[in-house]
Amino acid sequence: MEQYAQKKVDFMMLKAKLNFIKLSLIAAALLILISWLFIFIVEDASISALFSAKNALHTKQFFQGLVGIHEEQPAFFNIESWKDALSLTYDTLMISIIAIGFSAIGMLLTVIPAARNAAEGTLTLSRKWYNWLIFGFIRCIYVFSRSVPELVWAMVIVFVLKPGILPGALALALHNFGILGKLCAEVVEDLDMRPVRNLASSGASSGQLLFYGVLPAVMPKFITYMLYRWEVIIRTTIVVGFVGAGGLGQQFKLSMSWFHYTDVTLILICYLLLVGFVDLFSEGCRRLQK
Amino acid sequence: MTVNKMFVLKNISKTYGEMRALSSLSLIVEKGEMIALIGPSGAGKTTLLNILANTILPDSGEVIVDGITLHAYKSTKQFADKVGMIRQQFDLVGHLKVIHNVLAGRLKDWGFFKALLSLIIPQDSKIAESALEKVGLKDKLYERTSSLSGGEQQRVAMARLLVQNPQAVLADEPVASLDPVRAKDILYMLTKLASEEQQTLIASLHSVEYARKYFKRIIALQAGRVYFDLPVEKVTEELLSSLYSLEEEKQHE
Amino acid sequence: MNKRSYLSTILIIVFLFSLTSIQWNKELFHSGGGETLLQIIKSLFQPDLSISTLLLALKSAWITLAYAVTGISLALLIAFILGILASGVLFNSGFGRWLSFGVFRGTLSFMRAIHELVWAWLFVAAIGLSPFAAIFALAIAYGGALGRVFADILNDVPQEPLNALKSSGASKLHILLYAYLPMTASNMLSYTMYRFECAIRSSAIMSFVGLGGLGYQIQLSLSELRYHEVWTFMFFLIVLVSAVDLWSNMLRKRLIL
Ligand SMILES: Nc1ncnc2c1ncn2[C@@H]1O[C@H](COP(=O)(O)OP(=O)(O)O)[C@@H](O)[C@H]1O
Ligand SMILES: [Mg+2]
Repeated sequence: MEQYAQKKVDFMMLKAKLNFIKLSLIAAALLILISWLFIFIVEDASISALFSAKNALHTKQFFQGLVGIHEEQPAFFNIESWKDALSLTYDTLMISIIAIGFSAIGMLLTVIPAARNAAEGTLTLSRKWYNWLIFGFIRCIYVFSRSVPELVWAMVIVFVLKPGILPGALALALHNFGILGKLCAEVVEDLDMRPVRNLASSGASSGQLLFYGVLPAVMPKFITYMLYRWEVIIRTTIVVGFVGAGGLGQQFKLSMSWFHYTDVTLILICYLLLVGFVDLFSEGCRRLQK
Repeated sequence: MTVNKMFVLKNISKTYGEMRALSSLSLIVEKGEMIALIGPSGAGKTTLLNILANTILPDSGEVIVDGITLHAYKSTKQFADKVGMIRQQFDLVGHLKVIHNVLAGRLKDWGFFKALLSLIIPQDSKIAESALEKVGLKDKLYERTSSLSGGEQQRVAMARLLVQNPQAVLADEPVASLDPVRAKDILYMLTKLASEEQQTLIASLHSVEYARKYFKRIIALQAGRVYFDLPVEKVTEELLSSLYSLEEEKQHE
Repeated sequence: MNKRSYLSTILIIVFLFSLTSIQWNKELFHSGGGETLLQIIKSLFQPDLSISTLLLALKSAWITLAYAVTGISLALLIAFILGILASGVLFNSGFGRWLSFGVFRGTLSFMRAIHELVWAWLFVAAIGLSPFAAIFALAIAYGGALGRVFADILNDVPQEPLNALKSSGASKLHILLYAYLPMTASNMLSYTMYRFECAIRSSAIMSFVGLGGLGYQIQLSLSELRYHEVWTFMFFLIVLVSAVDLWSNMLRKRLIL
C-alpha cells in the first residue's frame, strides 16, 4: 500500500516536471515571437534595406578595405605594423593573465564560506550562527559581480583609473570573480566528505582540515575552471580595450574609426592567433593535470 | 542447393587483435528453425550473431543469407527484409514514445518526409497497434519508452521486429537482465511469435534450462568453435558439464 | 600529485611575472580618482528611484531582453544545422567525415573565437547601423559556441540504439530523426538555456554599436556623471540576468529526466 502511494507521488512529480517543461517551451516560443515582432515593427528592422544596392556597395568596399585591395602596402605586409601589433598582443595576453589571477585570488579568499556545507558547519565541523550571514553576503556579491558585463565594469573603472592595462584587467577580474566563485563554491559543496571526517576524528583543527582535507581535493577542479575562464577572458580582453583599457582592443577601435581597415585585419589575425594559442596552452595544462 | 537454407556459414574466422573470437566455423541453418546458442562467456556467441546480422565482417570465410552471399546485398533495406536482431532493451530510444520505437521497424520502407511526419502524426499506426497487441502492450502505445520496465521494453523491441517482419530473427541474450519470471515470459513470446510468423530464430542464452525448454536445436560454442550441435533431446548432462568445465580448467591454469 | 604541484607553481610564476607589466605607482589613478570612486560607491546605496527613471529602465530592460532572444533564437538555428554537419553523424566515413570535421568544426571555431562585440562592429562597418548588426553578431558568436557543444553532444550518444536502427534498415537521416535528435534534444535545450543568460549580458553591451537598452542607458548616465541613475540601470540588469538564470536553472533541473 505504502509502495503504491510512493509510486503515485513519483508519477505526480513526473507530471509536474513535464508540465513545467511544456509551459516553459510555450513561454519561450511566445517570447521569441514577440521579440522578433518587436524588432521588425518597433525597432524598424528591415531586411530589404539590408540588401539594398547602396548597402551592397558599402559591404564590398569594406571587404576590399579589409584585404587591402586599393592599398600599396597593406599593414599585414609591413614589418613595423607587425611589430606594433605583436607588442599589443603581448599586452593583451598580460591583461588576461592578471585578470584571471586577480579573480582567482578573490575567489580563493571567499569560496569556503560561500559553500553551503561550510555555512551549515558540516565542512569545517564548527557551527556558528553568523556563518549563514557571511554565506548570504558573499553569494550576493557573486551575483552582483557576475551579472554586470566586463565592458560595463570597465566603463565604470576608467573613471577612477587611467587607461592602460590595469583597468582592463580589473574589469575582467571583477566579472569573472563572481563566475569563478559560483562554480568553485559548487565544487566545495559536492566534495566527498569522508576523508575530511577521518582527519577530523584524528584530531585536526579547522585550519588543518581546510589545508590538508579540503583544498587538495578541490584544487584540480578549481584549476580546470580557471583555465576554462581564461579561455573566455582572452576573447573578451579585446572588448574591454574599446573603452581604453589597452591592448589589441584599443588599437582595433582606433583603426576602425580611422578606416585603417588593413590594420583591422592585422589585429584580427593577431587576435585569432592569441585565442588559438591560449586554447592550446590551456588544453595542454588540463592534460598535464590528468 | 541452398534454396531452403536461411544461413550457410563456411569457414568463418574472426580475430580481435590477438584474440581469436571465431575460428574456422561452419554452420547450416534451415528456414524456420529455432536454435539456441549456448556456451561460456567469451565463447564467441555475440560475434557469431553480429556476423549473421551483417554488423561486423568476418576476416575470412563466406556467409550466405537466403541464397545470396553477404556482400551481394545491395542495400540495408534489402538485408533488413531478411534479418532482424534484438539485443537487450538498450536498443530502444528511451526518449521516444513507444509507438515511434515500434514504427522504426518501418523506416526501411519510408522516405525522409514520411518519417518526419510520422513523429508528429504517426503513420501506419494500425501496424504498430497490432504488433503491440501481440506482445501484450496495447495500452502503452503513447507512453515514453524509458518509463517502461526492462521486460516491457524488451517486448517493445519485439514489436518493432514484428513490424520490420524479417525472415530470420537473431536475439543476443534477450533475457540477460531480466528476472526469471519475466525471462520466461519473453522467451515464450519470442518463440511463439517466430513460429506464428514462420520465422527462423537464433537466440544466444546464458541458461541451458531455457535453451532446453523453448528451443529445438542447441548449438554450443567453445573458444570460437562449435563444441556440439544437436537436437535438444540428444543434449546430455555430461556434454553440458564438460562444455562449462573446460572453461573452468582454463581459468585455473 | 607531483605533476599537479608543478602546474600550480608554473601558473603562479606566470601570474607574478604578468604583474611586472604594470608600472605600480600613483600615475595609475586619475587625479581625483579616489573621490570619484567614493562618489560611485556612495550612490550605490542611493540609486535613483524616480518613476521616470524606473519606467525608462523597464523599457530598456525589455529592449535588452528582446535583442538577446532574437539573437539566441537565430543562433540556435545556425548551431542546429552546423552542429549536425560538424558532428559527422550524417556522413558514412572516410572523406565525408573528414570534411565535416575539418570544414564545419573550423567554421564553428572561427565563429566563436571572435567576440560578439567585435562581430557587431564589423557588421556595422559592413551593413551600416541596423538592428541586424547586433542580432547577427549575437547569432554568429553564440551559434559557434552552441554548435560546437551540439556536435559534441551528438557524438556522445550511446551506440546501441543507433546500431539497432541501422540493422533494421534505417538510413542516416532516419537515424538522425529517430535516435540522435530525440536522445539529445533535452541536452541541447538545456545548454541553450544556460547560454541564454550570457546572451542577456552580451545584448546589453551592444550599446557600444549604438543599440538601445540597459547598456546604452548606463553608458549615457556615466557620461553625464549621474551615478545614481547608473546604479538603477545596473540593478535592473542584475535582476534581469538573475531572473533568466533562475528560469534556466529550474528548466535545466527538470530536463534531466
Ligand atoms: N570489440 C572487441 N574487441 C576486442 N575483443 C573482442 C571484441 N568483441 C569481442 N571480443 C573478444 O572476442 C571473444 C568473443 O567475444 P563474444 O563474441 O562477445 O563472446 P560471448 O558473446 O560468447 O560472450 C571474447 O574473448 C572477447 O573478449
Ligand atoms: Mg555476448
